[in-house]
This record gives sequence, C-alpha cells and structure tokens, in this order.
Amino acid sequence: MGRQNGKKIWSIMALCAMIGFLLLPVATSLNALASGGGEAPPAPAVKAEGEKKDEAKVEKGRDVYYKTEGIVSGAPAPKTVDGPRDYPRYNFESRVLLWFANQQHLYYGSFVLAVPIFCMIIEFMGVVTKDKAMAKKYDQLAYDFIKISLTAYSLTAILGGILIFTFLTLYPAFFGYLSSIFRPVMHIYALMFVAESGTLYIYYYGWDKMKEGFLKWIHLSMSVILNVIGTLLMMLANSWIGFMMSPAGVDEQGRFLGNIWHVIHTALWNPLNVHRILGNMAFGGGVVAAYAAYRFLSAKTDEERAHYDWMGYIAMALAVAFLIPLPFAGYWLMREVYAYRQQMGITLMGGLLAWLFIIQATMIGILFLSTNYYLWQALGRMRGAEKYQRYIKYLVFVLVCGFLIFITPHTMVMTPAELKAMGGQQHPVLGNYGVMSAKNGGINVIITTTVLSFIWYMRGNKEPMVPWKNFGNIFMGAFFGFAYVNIIWLAVYGYYIPANVRVGLSVPQVATTLSCLFFMTALNGFMLKGAKQMGPIEWGKISVRSQYAIIMLATAFTWMMGLMGYIRSSVRLFWHVNEIMRDNSPWAYTHTVGFAANMISFNVLFFWISILFVFWLGTLGAKKVPVNVKAHVPGRVPEPAHGH
Amino acid sequence: MKALMSVGAVVGVIASLVLLGMIFGVIPASTVHLVEGYMPMQMLFELSIFVAGFTGLSYMLNSMGMTISRFWQGIGFVAFILFYLKSRIYPPIPFSVRAMYGTVTMVAVFMWMSSNEEDWKKFRQPILNVMDGLTPLHKGLRTFFLIAIPLGLWGFAYQSFVPQGAGADVDEPIELRTVHPAPPASTKVHGKTFVLQTSQNPYRANPEGKYDQEYSNKLIVEQSMGRLMQENANPWDPKAEGYLKNVREGGEIFFQNCHFCHGDNLNGRGLHAFAFNPIPANFTDPGTIAQLQETFIFWRVSKGGLGLPREGFPWASVMPPWEQHLTTDEIWKVVLFEYWHTGYYPRTWD
Repeated sequence: MGRQNGKKIWSIMALCAMIGFLLLPVATSLNALASGGGEAPPAPAVKAEGEKKDEAKVEKGRDVYYKTEGIVSGAPAPKTVDGPRDYPRYNFESRVLLWFANQQHLYYGSFVLAVPIFCMIIEFMGVVTKDKAMAKKYDQLAYDFIKISLTAYSLTAILGGILIFTFLTLYPAFFGYLSSIFRPVMHIYALMFVAESGTLYIYYYGWDKMKEGFLKWIHLSMSVILNVIGTLLMMLANSWIGFMMSPAGVDEQGRFLGNIWHVIHTALWNPLNVHRILGNMAFGGGVVAAYAAYRFLSAKTDEERAHYDWMGYIAMALAVAFLIPLPFAGYWLMREVYAYRQQMGITLMGGLLAWLFIIQATMIGILFLSTNYYLWQALGRMRGAEKYQRYIKYLVFVLVCGFLIFITPHTMVMTPAELKAMGGQQHPVLGNYGVMSAKNGGINVIITTTVLSFIWYMRGNKEPMVPWKNFGNIFMGAFFGFAYVNIIWLAVYGYYIPANVRVGLSVPQVATTLSCLFFMTALNGFMLKGAKQMGPIEWGKISVRSQYAIIMLATAFTWMMGLMGYIRSSVRLFWHVNEIMRDNSPWAYTHTVGFAANMISFNVLFFWISILFVFWLGTLGAKKVPVNVKAHVPGRVPEPAHGH
Repeated sequence: MKALMSVGAVVGVIASLVLLGMIFGVIPASTVHLVEGYMPMQMLFELSIFVAGFTGLSYMLNSMGMTISRFWQGIGFVAFILFYLKSRIYPPIPFSVRAMYGTVTMVAVFMWMSSNEEDWKKFRQPILNVMDGLTPLHKGLRTFFLIAIPLGLWGFAYQSFVPQGAGADVDEPIELRTVHPAPPASTKVHGKTFVLQTSQNPYRANPEGKYDQEYSNKLIVEQSMGRLMQENANPWDPKAEGYLKNVREGGEIFFQNCHFCHGDNLNGRGLHAFAFNPIPANFTDPGTIAQLQETFIFWRVSKGGLGLPREGFPWASVMPPWEQHLTTDEIWKVVLFEYWHTGYYPRTWD
C-alpha cells in the first residue's frame, strides 16, 4: 500500500514537472515580449528633455499586413547578391540540397507529431473499454506505436540539425534575417523541444510502471501534455513559413516592428496550422497502416496475420478520419491565399503551378479510391456482407464520376492541332469540370460515397434488430439521396452566381457531407445496437489486394505531402520572404513540372527506405508472438471496440 | 426487381442503338444533341443511363442463360467508355484528357471486378487460362499476344513520330499553355498605378455614384440560353443613365474595337477569330472572365499579349495593348460591358 502511494506521489510530481516544462516557455516568452516585443516597450525613466530627444530618434514603420504603426526594432531585410557571401555553395544546386533536407525533416517531424496523438487515442480506448482482453490489446498497440515513434524521433532531431546546418552553410543571409525576426521565440522553440523529449521519454519508459489504476490515468494525461507541446512546436515552425509566404509584423523594408505576435499570426498561419495537423495525422496513420500491411504480407502464422490485419485497420481508420476533413482545410487555406494575394492564388490554381494541382487532385482521388477499395475488401472477412458486395459497382460508378470531374484540368494539355480542332482554349463540355464549382461537387460526392462505404462496412456482418429498422433504413437512404442531390445541385448552381457567393456555397456542400458522416454514422450505430451477428469478423482473412491498397494509400500520402510542400514553397516565386526579401541566387526560378516530380519521387523513395530501417529497428526488441486474445477469451474473435 | 431490370435492359438497348445510329450516320447526328449550357450534366446523365441499361441487359441475359462473363463485361465497359468519349463528345477531346479518363475507367473496372473474391476469380480466369496455355486455342492466343503486344507498342510509338495528314507535316509539340497567368500586384496605365487587389471599376456605381456590385448585378442580362435583358435594364434606351449608360458606351467601344476577334456574341468567334490558334477568349465560357477579378481583365486589356508575363509562355496572344488606343475610362467601360453582356459577375472577395 505504502509502495502504491509512493508511486502515486511520484507520478503526480512527474505530472507537475511536465506542466512546469510546458509553462516554462510561456514564462520565458513573457520575458521576451517585455524585452524585445510588445507594442510599446517600457520607456526608461529619464528627464523630459531626454524623452523628447529619444522620441525624435525613435523611427516608426507601418506594418505591411496589419497596417499598424510600430517602432522599428530590427535591421531591414538584406539585399542579397549572388556570390559566396550571401549564397556560398558546393558544386551543386543549393536549393535542391535544402529541399531534400527540409522534406525529410518534415516527413519525420509529421510522423513523430502524429503518432503520439494516435497513442493517446488508442491508449484512451484501452483505458475505457470494459473488455479486459481488448484493453490489453489496445494498450499493446499504443506501446508498439510509440516504440516506432521513438526511433523516428531521434532521426527527426538529426534531420533538424542537418537542416539548420544546410541553411547556415548555403543561405546564411536569409537564415540570419529570419532568425533575427523570430529572435524572441527562437529559444522558446528550443526549450519546447527539450520539454517534448523529456515528456516522451518518461511516457515511453514509464509505460510498464504506470500501467494500472490511477497511475494509468496519469500516464494518459502525460500523452495529452506531450501532444500539446508537439502541436505548439508545430505551430511555431508553421509561423516561419507563414511569415515567408504572407509576412506581417515588419515594414516594407522588412524591419521588425516590435510585435512578435504580428510576425507569428500572419494571414496564412491559422489555415496552415489546421491543414498541417490534419495532414500529419492522416500521413502518420498511413505510415503505420503501411507498416502493418508489410508485416501482414510477410506474416508466417494466422495469429500474426490477424494481429497486423487489425493493426492496419485501426491505423487506416484513424488516417481516414483525418483525411475526410483534410480537403476542406485545404480549401480554406487556398481561399485565404486568394484573399491575401490574387496573384498568388492564380499562380497556384490557374497559372504556373496549375498542373501540379491537377496531379494533387489525382492523388487525393487515389487516396479516397484506395480507402473505399480497402473497405470493400474488408467486407470479405465478414460473413453476411455478401448482400452489400453486389452493389459495389454502383459505388464505383459514382466515385469515378466524382473523380473524373475532380481531375479534369482547366488548362488542357494539347497539341496546336487539337487546340484548333477544339475551336478554342475551353472545351464546351469538359471545360465546365475544370473550375472550382464542379470540383467542389466532385470531391464532396467522393467523400459522401466513402461515408456510405464505411456504413456498409459497419453493417457487414450485422442485421439491425431494432423495431424501427425499416424506417431507419428508408430515412438513411433518403438522407444520402438528398445529400447527393444537394451537393450536385449546388455545384451546378455555382455557375450562376457571383464568385464570392459561389465560394460560400462550399459551406452548405461541406455541411451536407459532414451531416452524412456524423448523423448517419450515429444513426447506424443506434440501429446496430443489439444487432444480430451473422458471423464474426475473421481478422487475417482479408485479400492481399487490400494490403496493397493500404501501401498505395501511404505512398500517395507521402507523395502528395512532398508535392504540396513544393507547391506551397514555389508560389513565392523569386522571393525568400514574399515582397520583402528577394531571392537573388541563381536558383530563383521555378523548376519544370518533370524535375519537380522526379525530386518529389526521390524524397518519397528515400523516406520509405529510411523508415523501413526504423521499422526494422522496432522489430529488434519486439516479442515474436503478438498478444493472442483468443487465449484470454475463449471463443471470442478479437475485434476493436463497438465491433469495428 | 425483374421488372425494373427489364426496363433497364430496354433502355440500355435503345440507348446503345441510338448512339450507334448517330455515330454511323443511320439516323441524324443531332437526334439527341448536346444542349448548350447543360452539356456537362447531360454527359453524366447519359453515362448513368448507359450504366443502368447495361446492368439491366446483363441481368436479363443472365436470367435467359446467356451470361456474359465477367472478363468480357469489364473489357466491354472500358471499350464503351473510350468509344463514347471519342465519338459522342464534340468538339473532340484532346488525347491527354481521353488518356486520363481511359486510365481511370480501367482502374474503376479493376475495382469493380476485384471487389469480391468470386468476381475476381471469374475475371482473371480467362487471363490465367491463356497464360497457362491450357488448350491449343489458349496456347495459340498466348503466342499471338506475345507477338502482338510488343508489335502494337512499337506501332503506337512509330505512329506518334510519323508525320500525319495529307501534307505530311510533323505535329507541333504539346504546349503547356497557362491560360490565366498570374497578374502583377499592380499595373501602370496612362501614368496611373492600379493595385489589382484593391482597385475597382469606377463605372460600376449605383445612382448615388458609389461602387455597388449588388446594384449592377441586378441589371446584367440573364444567364444561360438567350441572355435576355432584364426588364427596364436596356442600355440602348436613350433615357438610360448611370451604370446602364456606361454599359452602352462600353458596348460601343467593344463593337468598334473588340468584336472583330471576340465576336458579336462575345464567344470568341469574331470575323477574324479563326485566323488565330488558339482563337480569342470566349467570355461566355464560365472558365474565363467569370473566374477573374475585374482588375485582372483591366490589366489584360491594357497590356495585351505583349504584356503577358514569363509564365504566359508561349505568349500565344495577338491582342494589342489597348492602353495605346483607348483611355483608361474606355477600358473600364468595355470591361463593364463584357460582364453585363455575358451575365457573369466579376470575382470579389468580400
């Protein structure tokens, strides 16, 4: 008993220490604001004459974004010239080296930020589930996840170091300027990294010691703190790229005006934050699912196959849960980009980079097609799901119609002879699919269909037994029917109204899709209460094609992340910091689509080879046989909470 | 169910016969014509009809003991889509887009055929039979494919390099043309700088003289077919004042300067249009001025093809820089007229 109390005290102390770590940067930031930031730094108590002289000396500048006045507190952005002083180089394109270092750091950074969030969710599911066998299984899964993440964490830090060295070595003038602007928060970032590392290590190594009772809750709350720190870290890093794209807090010459919050809180910061959190989660889920698929395909026993099938399913479900809102967050980001600079928006979606956006649309489509395909394949491991399988062809048709509209380019690639035969740059039939109104309809149809596939999957081996099941089925069918009609109608209507209203139409479209997701999933859940089981989910008895679909999904995520990162960065064109600091290196041009695609593919390949190494390291200390639930609960086939 | 499928089968047969009849000239090609303004939805609707029809047909044949194997269903569907895109849609779809659509269709058929184990087995069995060479026929087919596939690929590659057409001209290479290049942040016209993000058309004003897009939106022509004028919104009424008078003046400038290329219906089919490739921009298409801010059009009209930025390569525009021929006010008025006549609203961000 005394030992147990001791443990509790230690855990509470550990928790307090974590909170202390979390608050430390806040405390230091207050200090930083007092000394280097804030609208009006405290004036020293001097004589009245002295004050007048000081006022005369104080130079004020106008914020390029917020349009407020502030006291100039920094040097102007350097006007760089091509040469060894501003752009020292190896005998290679510096930009490509930086691209590689940045992308690899981002891949690993995203992974290690996402996986602890999964751990938190899965550990929580383990804590709240009443089935002890399942609780243990969830707990083991969360532990496996964090173990993979730990090795990746070291690699992230190493890659971060390489990135900083690359910046310092190849772009010293630019990096010097950026660090001078972010000086008040640079050390906070570093300290938060310390807090993140400390929390992560205690979380991981304390797993066994804090596995029961109150201590388990303490352990779980540590994961919350870990994720809070991780998210804040990411938001700070986002503020740098936000500043580079849409600078604020500086005057036209790039001089810091004393308000660090303005520098952080730029026009694109919040959309970037939301998009990146969701993107990281979807990406992390995809990578873990691919790991499970790889282990499934190389499994030797049925138990192993069952375990990794289940693990892949959970990771995939998490990835898809965050994938569904991702296009909406992306849409918001693009809307803000357009609102910030029309020029930037057109470069992205109608101009120079438009073809990359078509590739992006294709990748998004592949993500959703792979997800649906996986769910359909997963129906195969359930007895009773045959009744849904015969209707899959209609879902394929609807999905593909949405997909084709989504990928139809506004600017078509054609020979001059084809252009002449077409009688103009815009095709009268397909040209209509090339604009945003149609594409919004397309993607919403795709997502709604994915929700429908998921509901079929949930029902696969179950027969609703509630007295109102007929009414429920009709209501659900009508709801989906009206949802499709509403989405398509709004997409057509968008052609007949002003653009600012049309942009707003995305809200009811998204609301329709999300209504299907939330209300129909909930309704389905109610209908399946006390449902008749047609048979168990036979984990491990899924086609290998499903696992290739998962690998496809993960690869598409990785490729798309590389692509979108490149697009977002390229849209600055020849600016280091948009309209403030010009890039005068010899590489201030936009790469060709082909070169960019090859570079992205190289980054993807390198990431997957290196992460395979990380996975391999993870297996070195792993138990050979996964937790066998059958041994604990005879006659019960393992399945996640709520049967799915 | 059977009744529903019978209806589907009848629809499928009739639709297929009509399509074939129109394409091969048995019945007039305009029997079921693509209706302007509704073509995109019509295409989707037609495809849905065919899918429903084929489903019914397949069901009925199956119930009569004449089952079409999964393999041929899949191959047949891909062939149908390619045929439909090539022969039904006019004007012709560029190869790159047809290739995209064809690839997606093949992926879709794969997803359909492999959605459950039973169908997947049925679909791949004929392929495996040929590969395994089970019977002399299969062996013969295997040998045939072994020769035909590389030969076909060679032929495709050869054809793409051989000069086509009567004059044996080599095709000009594909151009990744940027239709709407990003505009500059600001542009200088007649000595005055206009910031494109914030500038406004001074003639889009309400009777009080204030910029008012909502007011002008109510006075533009009706969209879709006909483009009829609103009641009491005739710019050619001698009593028309304010916005409508400016539209009329913009129209006069348009018909004196622009309509030779952009056409009297603003659809890019003017007298001289077909001397150019590409033909001039079609303002009635929802992908042109309807997608852009008014200041973008002001910039493009002022600076013309010569003023296109680098990304506008290969600068395939012969439009003159109209700032050399028109005043700033005249350019704003002509832009006003273009939006009025097409029934589109300029893009705004509020």
